[in-house]
Amino acid sequence: MYYICCMNNEFVQNWFSQVKKGTLSYIILIILDEKEYYGYELVQEIKIHTTLEVAEGTLYPLLNRLKTEGIVDSKWIEQESGIPRKYYTLSKDGRETLTEMKKIWSALGTAIQKIQK
Amino acid sequence: MKRILFNNPTAQRIYDDYIARVNRCVSILSKEDQQELLMEFNSHIYEATHNVSPEDEVEALMNTLDKLGAPEVVLQLTVAHKKVRQATRSFNPKHVVEAIYLNIFNGVGYFIWGMIYLLVLAFGSLAIFKLIAPGHTGFFLKDGHYFVFGYTSHLPDGVTEVLGSWFIVAVIGLMGVFYSLNTVVFRLLKGK
Repeated sequence: MYYICCMNNEFVQNWFSQVKKGTLSYIILIILDEKEYYGYELVQEIKIHTTLEVAEGTLYPLLNRLKTEGIVDSKWIEQESGIPRKYYTLSKDGRETLTEMKKIWSALGTAIQKIQK
Repeated sequence: MKRILFNNPTAQRIYDDYIARVNRCVSILSKEDQQELLMEFNSHIYEATHNVSPEDEVEALMNTLDKLGAPEVVLQLTVAHKKVRQATRSFNPKHVVEAIYLNIFNGVGYFIWGMIYLLVLAFGSLAIFKLIAPGHTGFFLKDGHYFVFGYTSHLPDGVTEVLGSWFIVAVIGLMGVFYSLNTVVFRLLKGK
């Protein structure tokens, strides 16, 4: 019995990791749709709006990838401290991508709701 | 990049050591890419730690670095991708070799990309060889059958070269074809 319980737990944890991985870019795009954010601020914003524990080590490579794909733009803004902040914004392509992702997410949600009934 | 100054000497040592590790991980990249990644880490560390009191600096810094992760691990993929971009932009053999080395574990895709790149270099070399040793470089037929396409020091009787100066045009054309193919392969890899 204990064995079955642990196996299920492990499966759920793995599944949740995959869901987190798959939805993080979607969450970032939704947050960046409101206004521009710098990296550290973006991490805090994700924590405020979701229960997801985002490791910064995974966030920056993802932001770099989104930039390479042309989905987000970034710019360095000098600060009084002398240590600039890198601000991220959604590009035009990014806004179109987000619209498409919202449609897919909505359709997926509806489909799952139907199945669950 | 401006160094962050901590009040606590232990925090300063931990920070300096971490930045030195980031520096080592990105040293293979172009100066701009190195600077970009270093500034990104530095900015994050500063934002996460600049509001804490001196006695809490070590703990705050350790938590921040823990969440950022070991540079050798978290930077691996980013450095590999940036190196490939640098290699495809510059076409510098040194960068290409480094990019292949960094991406060797990213699958056979990069291996194919590297092989095609070597073919482009080989065809380019043949164009130069045709100018240096025209009698030994070309498209050779023996008794009407394919013998050699390229350079050969051994030319037995009955061998004829059929392309002449057009051989240079042919190898430059092949370079173009394989270069385009490499661009397609790179785009596919980038899209993975």
